[in-house]
Amino acid sequence: MLTDAELERYSRQIMLFGRSGQERLRETTAFIAGAGGLGSVVAIYMAAAGFGCIRIADCDTVDVSNLNRQVLHRTIDVGRDKTESALQTLKDLNPTIDIQPVQERLDEHSIEGLLRDSDLIMDAMDNFETRYLLNRAALRHNIPLFHGAISGFHGQATTVLPGRSACLRCLFPRALPPSTFPALGPTCGVIGSIQVNEALKFVLGKGELLTNRLLLWDGLASSMDELACERRPACEHCRDY
Amino acid sequence: MKIKVRAFASFREMLGSELELDLPDESSVQELLDALASLNPRFCSEAFDRSGLLKDYVLLMKNRKRLDRDSMNQALEDGDEVAVFPPVSGG
Repeated sequence: MLTDAELERYSRQIMLFGRSGQERLRETTAFIAGAGGLGSVVAIYMAAAGFGCIRIADCDTVDVSNLNRQVLHRTIDVGRDKTESALQTLKDLNPTIDIQPVQERLDEHSIEGLLRDSDLIMDAMDNFETRYLLNRAALRHNIPLFHGAISGFHGQATTVLPGRSACLRCLFPRALPPSTFPALGPTCGVIGSIQVNEALKFVLGKGELLTNRLLLWDGLASSMDELACERRPACEHCRDY
Repeated sequence: MKIKVRAFASFREMLGSELELDLPDESSVQELLDALASLNPRFCSEAFDRSGLLKDYVLLMKNRKRLDRDSMNQALEDGDEVAVFPPVSGG
């Protein structure tokens, strides 16, 4: 049962999906991989919407050059662990949910512990090697992966449902080389918001997910396109699922 | 024959969002890419490696279907649409 305080806090979205939908959100544990540009937007909107448990992992500390887009962090946070700063912002925003910050590098050793009891994975990473780890973990645990990535004015998003849609490796068979990419707040805002919107629809069972579709945002043209994609039978990640 | 090319992300800034190329009949996907490379030196350096091969992470689609790297010699037909897209990876 939702409390009176929760009913009031979420009243404008309960209009959309009822108390039962809100309860479903409260029962959901989301794992957010990264507390950077995308992770900031994803975490803030998930906390605000009332996802009951948010586990957010990052291994970096806040740098002043992060602040043009990483809205979880403030100038006063420079030098702090990103997850500590994230915890503060998210707790201030919504003290009724469980926020679990994990200051740890995401790798093949840590991922199982980080994912424990998670119902879904939010990809807010900045490199494809770690995204492939998330992809494999999503397939292994049979939980959805909500992918987003940005560079400058451009962004992309897709949703992976293990065994039912193209996985991240089907879409992107080869990793991009790591690079320092230009990053802009509004691009993170657009793509991170789309990722949370997808997670909401998944939990609520509403609408059409971005499965087998890669959504492309072009902030210079203010336009979106989509590329259709399909499972690759020979995909080294998902052929056995 | 006329081939429609759609470019996305940073390639769009180099090539424009949509262009039409006039190529000899039965030109291949590789020949289309070569024509694009000669149009714009920045596209050439961003899309191809030093040996002149398309970088392995660049995505190509023909008539909205993914093209594998072993389809580069496939002949195109008048009216085909080819999309070229460099994924982004930042977060």
